[in-house]
Amino acid sequence: MRLCKLQIILPVVAGLTLLSACGQNAETGGVSEAASVELANGMTVKEQIEARQSHLKKIGKAFKTISDQLKAGSPDLAQIQAAAASVPKEATGMTDWFPEGTGPESGVKTEALPIIWEEKADFEDKVAAMQEAAAKLDTVAQGGDVAAIGAAFKTTGGTCKACHDKFREDD
Amino acid sequence: MTSEASRILVWDGAIRLVHWLMVVLVPLLWWSAEEGHMDWHKSFGVTMFGLVLFRMIWGLIGTWTARFAPMVRRIGSLKTYIGDLRRREHGATFGHSPLAALSVFALLHALATQVTTGLFSVDVDGLESGPLAVLVSFEAGRQFADIHELNFNFLALLIGLHITAIAFYHFVLKEKLVGPMITGRRARAAFSDSPLPENRARPLAMLAAAVLSFACVMAVLNFG
Repeated sequence: MRLCKLQIILPVVAGLTLLSACGQNAETGGVSEAASVELANGMTVKEQIEARQSHLKKIGKAFKTISDQLKAGSPDLAQIQAAAASVPKEATGMTDWFPEGTGPESGVKTEALPIIWEEKADFEDKVAAMQEAAAKLDTVAQGGDVAAIGAAFKTTGGTCKACHDKFREDD
Repeated sequence: MTSEASRILVWDGAIRLVHWLMVVLVPLLWWSAEEGHMDWHKSFGVTMFGLVLFRMIWGLIGTWTARFAPMVRRIGSLKTYIGDLRRREHGATFGHSPLAALSVFALLHALATQVTTGLFSVDVDGLESGPLAVLVSFEAGRQFADIHELNFNFLALLIGLHITAIAFYHFVLKEKLVGPMITGRRARAAFSDSPLPENRARPLAMLAAAVLSFACVMAVLNFG
């Protein structure tokens, strides 16, 4: 009796597994299609999203370097200056990183919210504020006044947060 | 009517204070993280770090009911204890029951994981970080933050289980466990075993544990 049941259950389970696997294939197929759409700048959607994530990650790393040094008893100015100089470079052209079609609807994993394209003007203002603050942080950092660097770093961090709070999915 | 002499010390002041401070701190820590008040989160977190350290030290040199070694030995009679529970032949345990000992170890483990990963965590923007994050790379700090987030769910699950167990003892087994965790004392008559292990308060050991854990916290804070 038990064996009989098993004989029925096993094929059913196997069938269901196959079915769900097919479903998954169809889904990922759809995703990669939207992701491989070519944008006006020649990049695919997926490439564009990954490129901006890579830039932002480098900025995050630079910020950690600055924050670590500011916390230290005797900050290493050279490290702060190198990191601060890299931020405006990494942030160049940031508004261009978000062409239409590179939001979550593309199916590529991104924390960019659709509101970026709904309130484009505000988004661009916030990005410009960050770029301006980062440029100032770089200038102040090359000056070498640790207290002033701390203040400029705080301001720059505030501009990141202002944009992320509104335009990025909650972490 | 029970006279003061027949009410004996089960949980010393340190255990109770640490326990209730943790009860207050866990929701505050969760809330401050959710709302992004990272300065508060770090202050609460460092306080929690000190409490966990103290509890670990107190588990080695504290009162009998606080110490880990007797708790480990208690776990040896887990099967008998659960058997008694199922037959509704439940009797009060002096200190941690085998199940309570397991619960304490699981909760302390989750709390220790939580404070340790928090010390090394870095946020996604590289703007906020734990006091020891200078020792690790951005990528490693992000991984610590991921574990920190994941482990919180595990901790919340254990806390839920803990509260459910207290409610089960209260309503089903008619054993009131919250009162003794507040007053520290329970009627001697509640415990069938005699003699009970000596559970005297140890003020000097308590001071040593407090100083040691405070020194560790200060060392971590002044690192770098």
